[in-house]
Amino acid sequence: MKREHLLAIAAAGLVSSSAALAQEPPFPMAWSRTTAAAEDRGAPLERGAAVFNNWCSACHSRGPQNAPGTASLQMKYQGSVPAALEERRDLTPDLVKFFVRNGVAMMAPFRKTEVSDADLDALAAYLTER
Amino acid sequence: MPSPPPGVSESDFQRALRELEGVVGRDWLFSSDEDVLLYRDGYSPLWDEAAERKASAAVAPTSVEQVQEIVKIANRYGLPLYPISTGRNLTYGGAAPAYSGSVVVDLKRMNRILDVSARDKTCLVEPGVSYFDLYRHLRTNKIPLWIDTADPGWGGLIGNALDRGGGYTDIEFRDHFDAHCGMEVVLPTGEVVRTGMGASPQAKTSQLFKYGLGPWIDGIFSQSNFGIVTKMGFWLMEEPEAALQVSVTVPKRRDVVPLVDTLHSLMAAHTVPSQVNVVSPVMAGNNSEMLRLRGSGGVADEQWDRYAASQGGAPFWAAQFVFYGPRAVIAAQWQHTKDRLAGIAGVRFQETASYTFPLTDEQAEAVADKARYGIPSLNLFGSRTAPGAPPLEGHMDFSPMIPPHGEELIALTDFTGKVYADQGFVPSFVGGLMFHPRTMICFHAVPTFRNATDNARTRKLFETLVRGCAERGWPIYRIHPVFQKLGMEMFGFNDGALHRLHETLKDAIDPNGIVSPGRYDIWPRRLRGSNA
Repeated sequence: MKREHLLAIAAAGLVSSSAALAQEPPFPMAWSRTTAAAEDRGAPLERGAAVFNNWCSACHSRGPQNAPGTASLQMKYQGSVPAALEERRDLTPDLVKFFVRNGVAMMAPFRKTEVSDADLDALAAYLTER
Repeated sequence: MPSPPPGVSESDFQRALRELEGVVGRDWLFSSDEDVLLYRDGYSPLWDEAAERKASAAVAPTSVEQVQEIVKIANRYGLPLYPISTGRNLTYGGAAPAYSGSVVVDLKRMNRILDVSARDKTCLVEPGVSYFDLYRHLRTNKIPLWIDTADPGWGGLIGNALDRGGGYTDIEFRDHFDAHCGMEVVLPTGEVVRTGMGASPQAKTSQLFKYGLGPWIDGIFSQSNFGIVTKMGFWLMEEPEAALQVSVTVPKRRDVVPLVDTLHSLMAAHTVPSQVNVVSPVMAGNNSEMLRLRGSGGVADEQWDRYAASQGGAPFWAAQFVFYGPRAVIAAQWQHTKDRLAGIAGVRFQETASYTFPLTDEQAEAVADKARYGIPSLNLFGSRTAPGAPPLEGHMDFSPMIPPHGEELIALTDFTGKVYADQGFVPSFVGGLMFHPRTMICFHAVPTFRNATDNARTRKLFETLVRGCAERGWPIYRIHPVFQKLGMEMFGFNDGALHRLHETLKDAIDPNGIVSPGRYDIWPRRLRGSNA
């Protein structure tokens, strides 16, 4: 669990109402598009980080033992470039967008209802401009 | 631009698209090639062939009312629709329709968690809510409930339940359709129905009692095309005090018989609560002698045992499962389990992981076998297994069901190993996975490719497995849309009486045949006889 996930989701929405919850404190909902919190803050890199944490980190986070995408890239590159995408310095925005929209190997492409074009711009910026 | 659906004129298609755009707005009607291609099944066994199942457009509503409007437009124009929830049913079709030319109704934007009751241990969600979404919601709000997640956490509760998927925790939760309680469905006519107690407008038990009054209708909305499910309730597991994950190994091939019999008995007595995996470490990997034995179609147990003995003491079978509950209860359950299995010569017991809950974020991140603790992940999605090896491009799950008998697992392994070998494939891993209380599912990964030559081989392999296993009493429980017609043929008692009943229902519920034509081989009258 990434702390960024929690922050993004916690800020993302408001309260459920049900008979069952009527006596319980209100809690945030994960209903809105998952990067809405960062979007509202208007910081592209922060929004890109939220997109990465929501959609990419389960496969591409830094810990290869629990990140199959990172482990696969380690197999592929054998250390010639970092296996974790957030440590790469050779990615371009177009390359990031290509793989998100086209997929590669076992990674299926992401639809615009998952990662919108604006989210993808932010993600590309996050992975190439930090 | 994609072609209109079969039987719909270009002008009607364009009018229908404009009306759909009027419902959801310009940003959420997808009709360009670039956008519609995102709805392909990346693991399709028909990739880039003329018969590949492709959408003509996609529309992404945010509300039940919008779904109703979409359905009404589809009825006016005879537009086939194909609803998806998160669209991540990979290995079973992904986001692609069963019938080419369908307009995908992408419900991913309907992603509200409408209710979670910590007191009643229930939730009510929309189709776009993924396992990750609900997990994060529970963690963020410190609600001491567990989800039961499918292996890939990007899947959704509703989509997985409707395709009758499964998970790993307690038996009350890991059959995902069985764990639902109440649904809301937009019928093909546009009418909204709620099932179970939810049909009683003031009921306080909509997520607590499944049946309501009258026929229990929920089942017809699973693996079917009788409506668009827009809400479902689910029962959630109360977080236990602790968990203990264990492994039991036995040395010889035939030991699987008492091993499975005893574990089944322990599951039936609720001593072993979790899903149980029975796998063969000896029959894993790519040792040439092992592959020769697996491809032989069955050799004497002694021959296998001699091979196993040459492999440095690897056990022939390993069973993995988890106890959940108070520490003292777990200790008693584990001891009883060991006592029951102690009669198998050479049996070994190992405690492989132990947790006390709640976990911190860092502890949860470090859990290796996440799904067993209700933690979603994508850990199965690695493409490369070795340096220099070509990446895996996809696969379909071939999922025969067998009785929980070791003899059946051995017989199935002998049969499928020979089929793979005869057709030039490396056989899938060997395992009997006890998701359900009275059966084992023996998943086989059948590889798919991005070229027609290899996919033709894959389709032949898949069909041989489906037919051969059904003939031996092991039909599948779920199947990729490209093979749903074949799958339903295996359920052909009395000259296909069940299939005829499905289509009788289809005619009554969906007279214009607009929802998911062909899904699980249920065709509307106007398309009957179609092979997609």
